[in-house]
Amino acid sequence: MASIVSNLCTGCKLCQKYCSVDAIGFDEATKKCVIDPIRCTECYVCIRQKVCPKDAIVPPALDSFLKQFQHVLSDPMENHGVTGVTGRGTEEVKTNDVTGRVKRGQVGICIDMGRPGMGVFLRDAEKVAMACAAAGVELQGEEHTPLGALMPDLKTGKLQDDCLDYHLLSVIVEGVTTEANLPNVLKALDKVQHTIDTVFSLGLILRTNDAGYTEALDCLEELGINYPYRGKVNVGLGKPLCDE
Amino acid sequence: MTHSLHRSGNIECQKKDFIWFMYQTKSVNDKDIKPKAVQFIAVAEAQGSPNWGDVKTGPRTRFSCGEIIEKITDKSRIRGVFTSKEQVIGFLKDIKRLDLGQSVIITGVLTEVLPACQEVGVKIHSINYALGIWGKKENLPDEETLSITTMCGHHMIPPKFVQHMVSQVEKGKITAEDASRQMSDLCYCGIFNQVRCAKIVKEMAGKK
Repeated sequence: MASIVSNLCTGCKLCQKYCSVDAIGFDEATKKCVIDPIRCTECYVCIRQKVCPKDAIVPPALDSFLKQFQHVLSDPMENHGVTGVTGRGTEEVKTNDVTGRVKRGQVGICIDMGRPGMGVFLRDAEKVAMACAAAGVELQGEEHTPLGALMPDLKTGKLQDDCLDYHLLSVIVEGVTTEANLPNVLKALDKVQHTIDTVFSLGLILRTNDAGYTEALDCLEELGINYPYRGKVNVGLGKPLCDE
Repeated sequence: MTHSLHRSGNIECQKKDFIWFMYQTKSVNDKDIKPKAVQFIAVAEAQGSPNWGDVKTGPRTRFSCGEIIEKITDKSRIRGVFTSKEQVIGFLKDIKRLDLGQSVIITGVLTEVLPACQEVGVKIHSINYALGIWGKKENLPDEETLSITTMCGHHMIPPKFVQHMVSQVEKGKITAEDASRQMSDLCYCGIFNQVRCAKIVKEMAGKK
């Protein structure tokens, strides 16, 4: 984890204002700031912005795959190794006009774990991934989304045990299901949301008609879910165009 | 990344907040993107995009146009914001005419974005719909703070920093525009809408 060199710290607490997950505390006994090693996500906001006037905050040695994973997923300036995309490394709807990852009749499930701003322990991401898998979501592998690299069995959504206590700024649980199965998935998410110690922001990726309409969301009213008013619209100018 | 999708706050205020993206697809059209990126930037600038950037360098509010363009590589992601539907329409018209072959995305309130697309005559391919926040929502910051922090979807703008900035404005030490600019500088993607932020900061500071 990032750490604060105690003999350099003056206890001014300026760094606390820049911590994205409130991981910087103050030790009343020593009058020094300290970083909570459990909560720090290695997002590097405090380091990149050089917020400490005494340069007391130092980055960690990223000497294991999981430490690197934690940092790359928490810092949008980094590239994820397999997908080559910055941040959390997934293209979701942004290139769907070219990749055709989500086809007609399908729904892309895009669950931003830890967003907005609370961060996520991977044990909570596992709960949601397993709920999705049990509800019939085909989870994406590491060639499409970073979390797949920690998921030995995409059919269950279970993550490798040694990663579960890592805290990330966010990570996406991503998969595909059919439009007909969407109500089951939403019911599963409604159930699992009460078992996690964080939040997630849910996105549903759908092919639409040329005007941007899809009947697949008609099920929302029956489930008591508000119809979405925001969207990320792919306007179909990418080439070669995939129209599946 | 869905860092532009899940913005929050007053819906009328969000109607003046659009995000534009140029996106290359890995192993398909991701080589020598710089000339195309430069054209995207020129079109966005001509429409008055108040902020844009490349996550590998930073936002326009912090770096010069030349600095950002100079450092564009095939790993770059070019994106920015607009503050009106008219800007979106002008942008899409020119990008459609240029036919650069890169994926183009507009994020925003659908009652604004979809008519803009219709007016330009682009055929919508797919949409990532925002279904809101689920889980332990009681631990989230207040709605006004959230409406600012969610403008950097990567959460590079901490709630405590927002509160600090609002406090500085309230004390008359800096203007709402200065505060918004400082917050924008933390969002490296360049999709932070400092114009909308300044309005929110003024409202927050005015309440104290």
